Amino acid sequence: MTTNKIEIKDLTVNYIENKKSFNALHNVSFGVGKGEFVSVIGASGCGKSTLLSVLEGLYTPAGGTVQIDGKELRGTGTERGVVFQHYSLFPWMTTKKNIEFGIKQSRHDVKRSERGKIAEEFLTKVGLKGFGSKYPSQLSGGMQQRAAIARALAMNTEILLMDEPFSAIDAKNRVLLQELLLNLWEGDGVEERKTVVFVTHDIDEAILLSDKIVVLTAHPGTVNEIVNVPFERPRSRAELVKTDEYAKFRNRLLSLLYNDIAERIGGDEVVL
Amino acid sequence: MTIKKRYLRIAHLLFIALILIQFLPDQSTKDVFTNSLISFAVGVEVIVLAASAIIKKEESLALLVDIAGFLYVLLAVWSLATAKYNYLNDLLFPAPGKVIHQFVLDKDKIFINIKSSLRTTLKGFFLAVVIAVPLGLFIGWSARIGSAATYITKFFSSIPPIVYIPYGIALLPSFKSVSVFVIFLATFWPVFAGTMSGVLGVDKKIIDSAKVLNVSKPEMLFRVILPASLQQIFLGCNQGLSVSFILLTSAEMIGAKDGMGYYVKYYSDFGDYTRTITGLLVIGFVVIGVTFLFNKLQSSLLRWKR
Repeated sequence: MTTNKIEIKDLTVNYIENKKSFNALHNVSFGVGKGEFVSVIGASGCGKSTLLSVLEGLYTPAGGTVQIDGKELRGTGTERGVVFQHYSLFPWMTTKKNIEFGIKQSRHDVKRSERGKIAEEFLTKVGLKGFGSKYPSQLSGGMQQRAAIARALAMNTEILLMDEPFSAIDAKNRVLLQELLLNLWEGDGVEERKTVVFVTHDIDEAILLSDKIVVLTAHPGTVNEIVNVPFERPRSRAELVKTDEYAKFRNRLLSLLYNDIAERIGGDEVVL
Repeated sequence: MTIKKRYLRIAHLLFIALILIQFLPDQSTKDVFTNSLISFAVGVEVIVLAASAIIKKEESLALLVDIAGFLYVLLAVWSLATAKYNYLNDLLFPAPGKVIHQFVLDKDKIFINIKSSLRTTLKGFFLAVVIAVPLGLFIGWSARIGSAATYITKFFSSIPPIVYIPYGIALLPSFKSVSVFVIFLATFWPVFAGTMSGVLGVDKKIIDSAKVLNVSKPEMLFRVILPASLQQIFLGCNQGLSVSFILLTSAEMIGAKDGMGYYVKYYSDFGDYTRTITGLLVIGFVVIGVTFLFNKLQSSLLRWKR
């Protein structure tokens, strides 16, 4: 097990709200291999975003450990790039400046003069060539997330943490962004792939992108099951969704999510 | 824009009316300097026509032309009531030409006074901003939970700064420094309060976003928190600036030996109401000019906001 890039063991997180402490995550354990793409799915309120906050270093767990490369995680760090659902970019910096700022934070070896070149290169990669001088408020939600991905990639971190990055994007653009991320992450097979933890509530998104899916159960958040995604890479959505295996696999995941919900439904509204 | 929209405006008719009015015989017993008024009006009209040929946006042109129209009406009514029909007491109400003539005669003296007023205001204002903003950032950021600082600020900003003048006179070596001190206080508290409320209002998502980039503490304060609270800071600055001019002119009328407030007070003591009104109008233009420049700075620094 020591080969895992990220090792989460018996992680327990308590939230304090209105002076009452409640258990957001309880004894969550799983590992993420180097270069592996792992999605965490679950109903809202299952603690999947809390889990990511712990990995980001923004939240201190009540119990258990998180290790990266065998070392205990402490606080934030620039070996992890993050894409949030909102406000990954600073609204007062142009898109290009945002990327340059990210590069400055994580790559001390890169000279000031080279940052602009790298920023342009990644803007082109995400299809935002020529938009470098725009402020985030001048871009659509989908373009903002493209820019956020460009920054995370330009920072060249070994680990990428993505917290429902496409949830606020309209259906058509979401599909385009998923494919962009898939292509960028799969790469040309020469470069080493990044280790990704991707939080989502979209089953199809999780299947398309991931090597492994962690299904969380709510109240408290525990791991229901860890499922390996059996489909070959490089993947193409069009090819994938046609197959029977895809439908079967999707149903299996759905039942994992829904069985759990059916068992637990007790008047609480459940949003997938 | 069509030629019609560009040049056929009511304001130009008003200009012609104003000029025609000037050919009526003067009934005032004093010299009313009709020629000065005519030259001024022609100057304004030339500028408006030149701008009409250049300005691209229809709304901005309409705004400029409308303002000119108002000005012509004002000058026409003013000259009718004074120079032409002498309805008003011509000692208390100088004709417009006379005020314009007086401005031209006194312009060197007036510019010296404007310079002195602006220097005092800007000294106090910038000193306050330079201290209040970093302090507000620092305290607002470190005391995110405690609001003690907010209450203390509320107390101090509730004291009208003008009441510091007598104490300032006892405390400080010159009346100039008292003015700077009072303007400093008048600007410091609103800017400090604005900065703190800005810092406390920064979206947690933005702060998280900065934290995961591992920014250093100075970077967090000056590259993240500062721009994120800039709008609130500007609110405080605007408040400080408008109070500063009130205080400055009041202070200058109390005890200064130069400045625009002094100019107005000095000549009204002698019953020279032409110069008094000239001074009032000049103060209006100076304040508008400074506010305009400041707003330009603000919208340029906040251009990323929509």
